[in-house]
Amino acid sequence: MAQLTKRGLIAAVVCSDTFMKLGTAQAKVFGVPDLPLLEIPHPLGGLGIEKVAQRAEIALPQLINAIKAVKKKSGATPA
Amino acid sequence: MSTLQERLKAQPGALVECDDDPEAVFDLLCEKGWSDGLPVIPPTPERIERMLAFCDRDPDQAVIKIPPRFGAATPVRIAANAVMAGCKPEYFPLVLLALEALAEEQYNLYGTQATTHPCTPILIFNGPAVQEIGMNSGQNVMGNYYRANAVIGRAVRLALVNIGAAIPGTGDMATAGTPAKFTFCVAENEARSPWEPLHVELGHPKEATAVTVIAAEGPHNVNDHESLSAVGILTMIAGTMAITGSNNPYYASQPVLALGPEHAATIANDGFSKADVKQWLFEHATLPLSRFSQETIERRFRRKLAEQFADAPLNTPVRMFAKPEDLLVIVTGGAGKHSQYMPTFGNTRAATRALRHADGTLAKSVFDFKRP
Repeated sequence: MAQLTKRGLIAAVVCSDTFMKLGTAQAKVFGVPDLPLLEIPHPLGGLGIEKVAQRAEIALPQLINAIKAVKKKSGATPA
Repeated sequence: MSTLQERLKAQPGALVECDDDPEAVFDLLCEKGWSDGLPVIPPTPERIERMLAFCDRDPDQAVIKIPPRFGAATPVRIAANAVMAGCKPEYFPLVLLALEALAEEQYNLYGTQATTHPCTPILIFNGPAVQEIGMNSGQNVMGNYYRANAVIGRAVRLALVNIGAAIPGTGDMATAGTPAKFTFCVAENEARSPWEPLHVELGHPKEATAVTVIAAEGPHNVNDHESLSAVGILTMIAGTMAITGSNNPYYASQPVLALGPEHAATIANDGFSKADVKQWLFEHATLPLSRFSQETIERRFRRKLAEQFADAPLNTPVRMFAKPEDLLVIVTGGAGKHSQYMPTFGNTRAATRALRHADGTLAKSVFDFKRP
C-alpha cells in the first residue's frame, strides 16, 4: 500500500482496532504517515460472512472519506 | 573517556546516565522498554568496546535493518544488546552471524516479528566454535544453564526487540508467544550424530562454523522408550508431527526434527540415512483431511489450497511438509529416549551462514576476530 501511495494511487489498509498501533507505526516506517487505516473491530480473520459484511459496512464510509480527503488535498481525480 | 563514549556523546540520546546500583539500572532499562523483562548487564561504552574488539566490520554500518521498525542494526547497537544479554566478547561474532542469517529474505523476518503466531528464531550452530566457546549440544540442550546458549540466543532476541521494536502489542502481535522468545539457541551434537552435520548437508565446509536459523515454535517432545527399530521410533515421531494446529500443513514449510542421539543411533543402525528419515516421515507424518474441522476443510483446504484439495476425498492424507528434503533434521541432546519436534511459522525458510571475516575468508576460530 505504501508503494501504491507513493506512485500516486489512492490506497488504504483495513486494520482491526487491536492492530491500529502497528498499522500507524508501519505507515510511518514506510514513509506514508497519512496512509488511511480503515479501522474495524477485531478480529478480521475467522469470521462468518455476516460479520465480514458488518465490518465492510464500517470500513466503507471510511474508505469514501479517505478518497474524498485525498481528492480535496490534491485537487486531482483519483486513479 | 573512551573513544566510543566520545562518539556517543555527540549523538543526542545515545548515552543515558543513571545510578550504578544494579537495581536502579534495571529499573531504568525496563522503564525505557530496553529489556526482555529479565535483568541485564548495563551496556556501558567500555563494555561495548570490549565486545567490538571481536568485530572486523565497520561499527557504524548496519548489517541488517530489523523490522518492524527497520532499525539499523549496526555492530555498535548489536554489541550493546550482546552486553545486556551477558555475552562474553568472543561470543560476539556468533551473535552478528545469527543476525546476518536472519536478514536473508527467505527467513521472512518482517512477517515473523509481527505475527500473531508463537514463533521465534531457533539458532542451530555447527562447527568448531561450538566447542571453542562451550556451547551445549548435550544434556538439556534446549533448556537452561549453559551461558553460551542462553546469552547468544538472548542477545539476538534483545536486538529484535530493542532495535527492531518487536514490542508486544505494537510490533510483536503474538497472541501468546512462547518461552523460547527469551532464548532458543542450540548446537548440533556432531560427535553423536550418525550422519553429516546440518551445515555440511546444506553446502558448507565441515571446518566452517555456521548457524542455521528458521522461525520455529518451542520444542514438542517425542517420548519413545519402547521402540527398538527405526520404523518404531519414526512411527512415534510421525504421530507427534501430524497435528492439526500447526502452520505447517498450509505452507511449503520446513519443520525441524531434533533427534536425541539415542533415537538417532537406533534409526541409523537399521540402515536409515538422513534422507531416508525425511522420506519416511514425508510419507507417514500425515493426517486424513477429515481430522481437520469442517470449517477449516471448507475455508482453507477447499478454497485457499484448491489446487490440491478442492475435490479431495476426506481420507486424503495432509502432509506436514511439501517435499521430503524440506524437513530439517539435526541430532542434539544427551542421554535418554527423547527427541524434539519444532513446527514452524510455515512461511519461513531456513537460512544458513558460515562464519567469515569481512574479506570473505572462512573464520577458523572466533578468537581470530580479536584485534590486538
